Amino acid sequence: MNKHTGFATWFRTMWREKPLFSTLCALIVMVILQTIALGFDQGSFGAWLSLWCRNWLNILRNNSTIGIIALGMTFVIITGGIDLAVGSTLVAIGAVVMVFIDSSATGLLASFGISGFPAYLVGIIVGLVFGALLGAFSGVLITVGKLPPFIATLGMMKICRSVTQQFMQRVNPVVPRPFTKIANVTIGGQMFMPIVYWLLMAFLMDIVSRHTVFGRHVYAVGSNERAAKLSGINVDHVKRMVYMLMGFLVGIAAVLQVSRIGAMDYANAGSGYEMDAIAAVIVGGTSMSGGRGSIVGTVLGVLIIAVINNLLNLLGVPPFLREAFKGVIVIAAVLLQKKEKN
Amino acid sequence: MQCEMRGISKSFGSNLVLDGVDFSVSGGCIKALLGENGAGKSTLMNILGGVLEPNAGQIVIDGNEVHFQNPKESLDRGIAFIHQELNLINDLAIYENLFIGREIQKKNGFLDHEAMVSRTREVFARMGLDLDPRTMVRTLDASYKQIVEISRALLMDAKLVIMDEPTSSLTGPEIGRVFSLMRRLRAQGVGIIFISHKLNEVMEICDDYAVLRDGHMVSTGKVHDVTTADLAACMVGHTVIQGRRGESARGDVVLAAENLGDGRSFSSISFSIRSGEIVGFTGLLGDGRSEIFQTVFGARGPYEGRILVDGREVRMKSTTQAVDLGIGYVPKNRKENGIVKDLSILENGSIVTLSRMKKHCFFLDEDAIRSVFLRLKDELHIKLEHVDAPITSLSGGNQQKVVLAKWLALQPGILILDNPTQGVDVGAKEDIYEIITRLSQAGIAVVVLSSEADEIIRLCSRSYVLYHGRIVGELTGSDLNEQHIMRLATGVTE
Repeated sequence: MNKHTGFATWFRTMWREKPLFSTLCALIVMVILQTIALGFDQGSFGAWLSLWCRNWLNILRNNSTIGIIALGMTFVIITGGIDLAVGSTLVAIGAVVMVFIDSSATGLLASFGISGFPAYLVGIIVGLVFGALLGAFSGVLITVGKLPPFIATLGMMKICRSVTQQFMQRVNPVVPRPFTKIANVTIGGQMFMPIVYWLLMAFLMDIVSRHTVFGRHVYAVGSNERAAKLSGINVDHVKRMVYMLMGFLVGIAAVLQVSRIGAMDYANAGSGYEMDAIAAVIVGGTSMSGGRGSIVGTVLGVLIIAVINNLLNLLGVPPFLREAFKGVIVIAAVLLQKKEKN
Repeated sequence: MQCEMRGISKSFGSNLVLDGVDFSVSGGCIKALLGENGAGKSTLMNILGGVLEPNAGQIVIDGNEVHFQNPKESLDRGIAFIHQELNLINDLAIYENLFIGREIQKKNGFLDHEAMVSRTREVFARMGLDLDPRTMVRTLDASYKQIVEISRALLMDAKLVIMDEPTSSLTGPEIGRVFSLMRRLRAQGVGIIFISHKLNEVMEICDDYAVLRDGHMVSTGKVHDVTTADLAACMVGHTVIQGRRGESARGDVVLAAENLGDGRSFSSISFSIRSGEIVGFTGLLGDGRSEIFQTVFGARGPYEGRILVDGREVRMKSTTQAVDLGIGYVPKNRKENGIVKDLSILENGSIVTLSRMKKHCFFLDEDAIRSVFLRLKDELHIKLEHVDAPITSLSGGNQQKVVLAKWLALQPGILILDNPTQGVDVGAKEDIYEIITRLSQAGIAVVVLSSEADEIIRLCSRSYVLYHGRIVGELTGSDLNEQHIMRLATGVTE
């Protein structure tokens, strides 16, 4: 009995003091429900385990693109901003990458006689730099142009997709087979790579957020911009860097997307990614008003939404209704966070 | 109307703000309510305006005792309180502002614009104003905004208008406009309570005066019986706190300004400050001193004139540049400008020097950061349980010391302190005074901005006094006393 009350007190303090703890608890509950929904009627434990693992690999792989974007979105939201353009910049970057790596006659580098691995390398670098530039441009609009982030990135969202669609009307680049290996290479019969890229980026971003000057400045700017400025922090520089980093990460996501799918639907690819990423960041405990949040929280947030989606799928909930559940989760998460604060 | 407040007492916690104050005002009279910051003027008027309830005493209006629970009840008895920060909505027209919350409706529930406009015209006619009620408030200058507030009071048949420092943000001609309106209202039998620091304005416009000091009514009478010097002396009292200024060795001029101006808040500002010196800048609220030093620190927009650091001219463009030049700045309003509430004590105390504390060119040198802060914590006697606790867990005084610590970690040559003891209890105040004195002895040039005269006298060997964005005097030695500061700061020119 005594031990039990000890646990209850511990649980209550953790729940109140550590924002990540409640997020983790939510994830654990979801995983348990999901496991039950998956069922145990596979005959042997081995069969059950392999099904369970395959299901999980699917979840992780399908969410790695959103996962990577959500990492950058975390920084953006911690500074008190928002980036609505990510879905469209993903398409724009993807188009640029495809034009560069195309080894057929329409390919940009192929016409100079460059193809294969060197072309892929150039394509990836150009894609990442292009992403960073697009992000930096949003950053300049926000800091120099003094536009609200919502407006600046809403504009960028419209511009990027529309211009890409216009330019790619007659160009139809082919993604060479070897390029698809980047995301689709299999280890032990399973495609791990997108997950590896995501978790690697998450690890790096977590280090940046906690152990670098830049990371700390990001929190300071988001929590109290004025005090940060009066402490000699170049607030505008920090903000520009955050949007640039966001663009760079979208670049990585775009390269992965091109490699994984081997094509791109310029009208629809990436649409809604901005909202999915924002939802994951919020469920992960990052405050929309800035100053508070963490990369680990965002990874958990992505997983919670993904697992619930998977759970609904397993339960046979119609796909149209699944988005509604996503909405419910976001609202519930923020309501919970509000209650904790009071 | 005859309004009397008798034996009013009010305390906040154990702090007695008003102690048995008597105050009266009658219709057709403009009465000045004077006193230093913290004398209790606002509290007294908030009681009359129904914002606060007194602990003791009574309010009698035309022979009937009244009790106000909220501002509306006070307004219903004909008392209107016009606050220093105007309560107008810039995006609405004048008449819409006047009728906000009590709009006139037609029978069908739509707004009756015509009726509201014509009622507004009636009020304007009574005030002798030629102003279109449909004008947008945003296009009005500060004096007309003030006048719109007064019209709103008249629209509700106010018999007594409380005006809290109505002229603080007005220019000369604008002040004239407000004053002529006040005279007109007086002629119509309206009573006005005029709260102001500006004694020459009091001499010009008021009939009676009342001076509060430390929660006591120390003097009342007719304005034409006294001089501004009498009033200044009365506000300060005759007990002047003896400073314990340590005369420190002065070095070279490290910070100077020549003809500095921003075209709005201040102009023609010239000063020079030597290392090892504590120099004050004082004046009333809104005298421009904070704006001057935010400009010097690179936190405001473009400026004219020159800023010299260590004898060399610099164009201050950003706070980062100022920090690189070794200038520290402890801002006023700690909560808004000083602390970052989501960061820990240690993170707040190291935020300035963070970019100088790296290892392997990329990562934070957490050990160095910690040891620097712990040393400063001991030096400044910061009382805390754990450096990783949130900054908001500390008392105001200790928070302020953390803000000081973040600048001392920089080892600045120049330290600007804006209202350094704001919201700090008495004990911590003494600590901070001692720290500032020690810093100047160590050769730092210290600038103290404060509107508390005794703080300036206590700390500084020299002080500039500001009035309306201009330096109106420089006081040293025995001239640096409260009477002189008060006279210069209230714009008395003789």
